Amino acid sequence: MSETSLPSFTLPSPMTVFALILLTYFLVISGFIYDVIVEPPGIGSTQDPYIIEGLSSGFMFVMGGIGIIMLDLALDKNRAKSVKASYATAGVSSIVIGYVMSMLFIRIKIPGYLH
Amino acid sequence: MVTKKTSPDLLNSFSFKSLKLKTKQQELLIRVSILGLVYVLAFIARLFSVLRYESMIHEFDPYFNYRTTLFLTEKGFYEFWNWFDSESWYPLGRIIGGTLYPGLMVTAALIYWALRFLRFFVHIREVCVLTAPFFASNTTIVAYFFGKEIWDTGAGLVAAALIAICPGYISRSVAGSYDNEAVAIFALLLTFYLFVKAVKTGSLSWALGSAFGYFYMVSAWGGYVFIINLIPLYVLVLLITGRYSMRLYVAYNCMYILGMLLAMQIRFVGFQHVQSGEHMGAMGVFLLMQVFYFLDWVKYKLNDTKLFQTFLKITVTSAVLVGGIALGVGTASGYISPWTGRFYSLLDPTYAKDHIPIIASVSEHQPTAWSSFMFDYHILLFLFPAGLYFCFKRLSDATIFIVMYGLTSLYFAGVMVRLILVATPAVCLISAIAVSATVKNLTSLLRTKQKIPQAGSTKGVGSSKSSSKVTLDQSQPFQKNGAIALLVGVFYLLSRYAIHCTWVTSEAYSSPSIVLAARGAHGNRIIFDDYREAYYWLRQNTPTDAKVMSWWDYGYQITAMGNRTVIVDNNTWNNTHIATVGRAMSSYEDEAYDIMRSLDVNYVLVVFGGVTGYSSDDINKFLWMVRIGGGVYPVIKEPDYLVNGEFRVDKGASPKMLNCLMYKLCYYRFGELVTEYGKPTGYDRARGVEIGNKDVKLEHLEEAYTTSNWIVRIYRVKPPTNRL
Repeated sequence: MSETSLPSFTLPSPMTVFALILLTYFLVISGFIYDVIVEPPGIGSTQDPYIIEGLSSGFMFVMGGIGIIMLDLALDKNRAKSVKASYATAGVSSIVIGYVMSMLFIRIKIPGYLH
Repeated sequence: MVTKKTSPDLLNSFSFKSLKLKTKQQELLIRVSILGLVYVLAFIARLFSVLRYESMIHEFDPYFNYRTTLFLTEKGFYEFWNWFDSESWYPLGRIIGGTLYPGLMVTAALIYWALRFLRFFVHIREVCVLTAPFFASNTTIVAYFFGKEIWDTGAGLVAAALIAICPGYISRSVAGSYDNEAVAIFALLLTFYLFVKAVKTGSLSWALGSAFGYFYMVSAWGGYVFIINLIPLYVLVLLITGRYSMRLYVAYNCMYILGMLLAMQIRFVGFQHVQSGEHMGAMGVFLLMQVFYFLDWVKYKLNDTKLFQTFLKITVTSAVLVGGIALGVGTASGYISPWTGRFYSLLDPTYAKDHIPIIASVSEHQPTAWSSFMFDYHILLFLFPAGLYFCFKRLSDATIFIVMYGLTSLYFAGVMVRLILVATPAVCLISAIAVSATVKNLTSLLRTKQKIPQAGSTKGVGSSKSSSKVTLDQSQPFQKNGAIALLVGVFYLLSRYAIHCTWVTSEAYSSPSIVLAARGAHGNRIIFDDYREAYYWLRQNTPTDAKVMSWWDYGYQITAMGNRTVIVDNNTWNNTHIATVGRAMSSYEDEAYDIMRSLDVNYVLVVFGGVTGYSSDDINKFLWMVRIGGGVYPVIKEPDYLVNGEFRVDKGASPKMLNCLMYKLCYYRFGELVTEYGKPTGYDRARGVEIGNKDVKLEHLEEAYTTSNWIVRIYRVKPPTNRL
């Protein structure tokens, strides 16, 4: 109804906040808190969670998400056609790679997956 | 080329001759049928264990809930509300009426009485088993309405479908999992939906509805603390981003005051809303809202900007100062209690590991590894950031709420595995926004390109595109094909999600835990029903006033199925009592006998997995008994039971380990048994070693019963020998 806000306080733009949120999302999804508390080894051969695996799978998820965002940007009317086409291809390839790699990771982690 | 004339012919050919549906009615029919299918799907996806085994209650906590519901239906509400139970925590007893959340039991009892009123005479156990799937179906409907509020009906439908089969939710709401979360997630989503609706419309009736939703949530689960902190945080964010409005004022004030008054009706919660540190955030925001309203009114009355600015500065500083002083005085004088350990460990995850071993020992309270996220969410993890992006593109009061709910709940899910359940509705809703927006974009791509050849005249879309029609003509079929391919891709991903969810539900989350299953040598299924065998033996072969000592995990099941008094159970409200039992289990037999005599113990129950290879037995939990016992009685030291920091039960184990009560009770007569072909006698299949002390002799206890697969072993405590 009114602008009764605290004095002298400029807010960051929504997209800046979104970028920060994406970064924290990446950390949480990679099991960062688990890594800090339980301190598993970086990499190994038995069926336990490891740090590097977590970070790479988290990166795959974020990449897939960004692919969908790029698809939406590609369908935005106000850009040149070539830019739209490159956004579309980048988006689709991000989604495909992200999905395939995530499926690969889960097949490694869970031996009897989908049987 | 499709002309408009064929559509009535098409309808006629479906033999709906007199039923010419308009578009709006067609849409309504599609929506209602989709929601109906989703409702049924959510129910039947949770029935795997009922079909495979039988209709029984799973796990540990649900047995307590079942026992209390049984008591409620037999004795009535007032007996239930004032119940003092002397059958658990002997000799202390437990004030059940004042230490439980009654929402679940009252809900199941109401359903039971309603069915009996309609002359369906079902057993209360059937109602208890099927309460969780029923409420999961109701949650999908609430999710539909919530999605409609945040985005549009398409997103609502997708959200309902996603949440119906999401493994994160199924894990705690299968048929048989009669636990508080079954009802609480429904209450949580309902409260949030009603509050967002209240903020959007500013209507007092929606705010009232959300207060009652909050009351239902408080009566159902201790996780209501999440609501009473998220909603004030949301209000704070709205205030900071300059979205203060009269609607927000009405909604929050009504919900907070009424919700707080209603919550005080639950004895377990009591006056915590004004006394506990976890609830102070809500009160602070409430006072802040009054300050905002006051400032607004002063600004309206005072038409001078400069004077108002100085007034603003003075008021804000004095308000913050007064609030801070009040909080400080309250905390220092002890009136406002600090954050309890369970919730404090969410803010500081390392706290429980160092200070409270009981909280740290529960496997559900561990932080989440990346594989758990993947397992419980599958493609929703891709759709979540995309959904956040769409929300940020179209910021409104409702989308800000769902973003905050999603982010806070996902952070807490990262800290504690159990809280993935709370994050699931938010993740499903935000992912639904992503799916709906993407599908809308793609189908609009398909549609606008179709209209251009037809709309030679007036349509706005056509006229704006007409100038670029020539250049777009060549790429039209390419873009249309691309859009169709992408739509097929979206449906492929969603179908993979459905396959994953069904597989996960069937393999991982439909196990009753009280009945174990394994594959035999020829691939046939072998069922181990040892737990229930032991509990029924207790029920039928021991005197009714016998007291049973076991580790706290089995307490609820022993009281519910064995109908005997226990020393400690899953409520874990008295750490010293549990530590006494832990001390008894880890001492030599003579000291343990003294402790058992002081607690009037008649029977001791242990769980042993050495014959079957069952790994969740008492020997694997033994170190926790030592830690908890040692936390209260310094005479129990953990290094005494370890050899070079390693926990062993074979010949190289420490002498204290080889002679403590737990070892003796588990391995009594085990040294004579051959468990695996080609291995020596006394080979422990769960630890994979031959045990160190095969010749176990018991002086003060005697074996009463061992189940057919040696999983549960019961011993009788002998009375003291006569003095001469």
